[in-house]
Amino acid sequence: MGERIRRLREDTTAASDTAELMRRVARGDEAAFERLYDVLVGPLFGAIRRIVRDPAQSEEVTQEVMVELWRSAARYSPERGSVMTFAMTLAHRRAVDRVRSAQASADREDTVGRREVGRPFDEVSEQVATRLEQEQVRRCLATLTELQRESVVLAYYGGRTYREVGELLETPLGTIKTRLRDGLIRLRDCLGVA
Amino acid sequence: MNADVHALTGAYVLDAVSDLERVEFERHLGDCDACRQEVAELRETATRLGTAAAVESPPWMKTAVMARISQVRQLPPDAGALASRRRASRWALRVSSAAAAVLLVTTTVLGVQLMRTEQSVEDAQAQTELMASILRAGDAQLVTQGDSSSGRMVMLASRAQDRMVLVTDGLPAAPAGSDYQAWTLGDETRSAGLIKPEDGRATLEVSGIDTAQQVGITVEPAGGSDQPTTQTIMQFPLV
Repeated sequence: MGERIRRLREDTTAASDTAELMRRVARGDEAAFERLYDVLVGPLFGAIRRIVRDPAQSEEVTQEVMVELWRSAARYSPERGSVMTFAMTLAHRRAVDRVRSAQASADREDTVGRREVGRPFDEVSEQVATRLEQEQVRRCLATLTELQRESVVLAYYGGRTYREVGELLETPLGTIKTRLRDGLIRLRDCLGVA
Repeated sequence: MNADVHALTGAYVLDAVSDLERVEFERHLGDCDACRQEVAELRETATRLGTAAAVESPPWMKTAVMARISQVRQLPPDAGALASRRRASRWALRVSSAAAAVLLVTTTVLGVQLMRTEQSVEDAQAQTELMASILRAGDAQLVTQGDSSSGRMVMLASRAQDRMVLVTDGLPAAPAGSDYQAWTLGDETRSAGLIKPEDGRATLEVSGIDTAQQVGITVEPAGGSDQPTTQTIMQFPLV
């Protein structure tokens, strides 16, 4: 519980603080990295879990992403966005890469089968730690049209390409592209992302 | 500004594009301030979808990561230009001539997979034979880039036979008004021909690789160019 509260508090750490941490990490400061890890790991691991599903693989990808953040800390520039966005962008890309290469290398059946026997270890803490954030995102997702929402969710959490989304929703590709963009724009406005 | 490319902003931010489309889009971003602004905002938005999924992580993971970073050297500050090259090399699988023979079976399977649909049996056989005959060369090299969901390209080459074949799978059509063009790169850059995927698949046989050090693929105006006019989207090292 203590861990949970601490993390909640650090989730709300101002972006400028994490940017400062990142600057220190770029100079090789391992203690700063440890603090940054605490701020980032819950969201990154959660997002990766949603996409990859398999717990063991999700843990692997999360560790890779963390090490990559350490490695490439000097390439972060605050003008291009928050540290969380920098890290989440990397995490999403890696998770999607993992899912697609698994898909390419073969039997989806098998992967799906393995996913379903995954350890069900964190349903409860998921609800506690991020309820507010979740509720806001859920509320804003609800303002999208059904097609926008389905497209965005399949692409972001499902790791699908827009081509796959088009096939799954039996919708022309041009329409899917537009819906993804319009959906995100509507989400942006609802969430108040500057 | 190309409206068609621009419409990809959402898909790009959600990583819902193929690797080739990503490269194209990032090139477009370089010339489009408004797009960069939109991408930044939509990225921040997509990140909220990620943070909303936060869960607790197993504590051992932190110990493991802290132990690993103490052994990882950090990169110097730099522009992001290296990222895509690193990405490509991660996928590059170079096969030494000795290993090529061992991989023959695998490759034959791959070859058959690459050619499975909508092709006459004769075509498929000719292709298989072509690949097999290059593989029989003592110095065959096989390099794969990408994957079948976002566009994969296999280069099979032999210096002894002075030829190579490029086979694609799942390669998206080149953007409207353009073609993929292959080049042999070395002391001089020479066109090796156009690659026109049909339903993602294409085969390009090239005789005369000469002293080329690399094979590169670019996107060129339809019909191809005399010399490359854009950056390569894929490169294959030639030993």
